[in-house]
Amino acid sequence: MAMAALRREGRRFAPLISPRPITAVRSSPIAPSHEDECPIGVRYISTQVVRNRMKSVKNIQKITKAMKMVAASKLRAVQTKAENSRGLWQPFTALLGDLPSVDVKKSVVVTISSDKGLCGGINSTSVKISKGIHKLNSGPEKETQYVILGEKAKAQLIRDSKKDIELIITELQKNPLNYTQVSVLADEILKNVEFDALRIVFNKFHSVVSFVPTVSTVLSPEIVEREAESGGKLGDLDNYEVEGGETKGEILQNLAEFQFSCVMFNAVLENACSEQGARMSAMDSSSRNAGDMLDRLTLTYNRTRQASITTELIEIISGASALEG
Amino acid sequence: MGLAGVDMVIVPATTGQMGVLPGHVATIAELKPGVLSVHEGNETTKYFVSSGFVFIHANSFADIIAVEAVPLDQIDANLVQKGLVEFTQKLSSATTDLEKAEAQIGIDVHSALNSALTG
Repeated sequence: MAMAALRREGRRFAPLISPRPITAVRSSPIAPSHEDECPIGVRYISTQVVRNRMKSVKNIQKITKAMKMVAASKLRAVQTKAENSRGLWQPFTALLGDLPSVDVKKSVVVTISSDKGLCGGINSTSVKISKGIHKLNSGPEKETQYVILGEKAKAQLIRDSKKDIELIITELQKNPLNYTQVSVLADEILKNVEFDALRIVFNKFHSVVSFVPTVSTVLSPEIVEREAESGGKLGDLDNYEVEGGETKGEILQNLAEFQFSCVMFNAVLENACSEQGARMSAMDSSSRNAGDMLDRLTLTYNRTRQASITTELIEIISGASALEG
Repeated sequence: MGLAGVDMVIVPATTGQMGVLPGHVATIAELKPGVLSVHEGNETTKYFVSSGFVFIHANSFADIIAVEAVPLDQIDANLVQKGLVEFTQKLSSATTDLEKAEAQIGIDVHSALNSALTG
C-alpha cells in the first residue's frame, strides 16, 4: 500500500524531476497524473491539476490578506487627518449654507475618485451620481461640465461624456495629501473653469464599513449675492458687516475661493479614507472567498486521491483472485 | 479646530487688529498674516496666523478659519530673519508682476512674523 502510494507520488513528480528508476519499471495502467481519462475507463480528475489550483488559490488568499492589512494601516493614517479637516468647512456651511438645489446656469461637477482599483464599488457610485447631477442640470440654457480627479472616474466618464470634460487630474496620492497641494489644484480649477456653482462629488467616510456618496455645493460670489437677495438661509448674509477690502464683492470672491479649497481638501481626504476602507472590505471578502474555494478544492482532492487508491486496490485484489483461480 | 468659550479674541484683520468680545456685531473679515491672541481669564495664548477668514455670528459665536496657525513659541527667529532677507532680495530682482507680488507676500508674512516675535 505504501509502495503503491510512493510509486504514485514518484510518477506525479515525474514531469518535474528526472524520472526515477522505480517509475520506469512501472508501466501505467492507471493513467499518469496529468491525463483526465484513464485508458481502463475509470474517470477522475487528476490530482496534479487540483493541487496546482489549490496552490494558486492559497497564494491569492495570502495576497488579499496582505492587501487588507496594508489598507488598514493606510486608513489609520488618513483617518485622523480627515476628521481634523472636517472643522475646516463647517464654519462656511454655518455661514453660507449648502444649497444643492440652487438653480444655476453653469454648474461644474468635480468628481473625486481613486487611481487604483480593487476598492469595491465606490468609484462607480461616484460616477453614477455625477451623471445623475449632469442629467438634472441639463436643459435649455443650463449646462454642466466635469472636472475629474482620479483614474477610475476618468475611465468611466471618458466613454460617454468626453465632450463635457474640462479638466482631468490624476496621480493625486503620489505624495501624502496636504492642504498646499489641494489649494494649488483648486487654484487651477478656478482659473480654467468658469462656473456658477461647483458641485463636488465624493464618498464621505462615516465608518470603516459605510461610505456615503455626498455632494457639496460651492457657489460663486454672484450667485451668493443673488440668493442673499432672494432671502432664505443666505438672506442673513446681509446682516454681516464686511470688513476691509474696497467692496463687499471682493471679499466674497476671496471667501468663495477659500471655501472651495477647504471643501476640496476635506473631500479629497474623505475620499481617500473611503477608498482604503472599501479596499479593506473588498480584500476581506476576497480572502474569505479564497478560503471557501480552498476548502472545496481540498475535498475534491481528497475524494480524487481516495478514488484512485480504491481503484488500485480493486485491481490488485481482482488480479490476485484471478490468479488463485 | 476646537470649540471653546473665551473672553476675548484679537484677530489680525486686513484693516488692522480687531478685538472681538461677546456681543460683537456680525461680521465677515479677511485676515492678514499676524498674531491671533486668545484671552481667557488671565491667560493669553498667541498664535501666528498666515491668513484666513473670521466669521463673527450674531449669537456671539466666532469662527476663525486659518490656512496655517502656529503657536508663537514654535517659531524660530533666525529662520524668520533669513526669510525676510531672502524675500527682500527677491523683490528687488523681480521682473514680472507675478514675481513682484509673490515676493511682496513673502515680505509681508515674514515682517509680520518678526513683529509677532518681538512685539
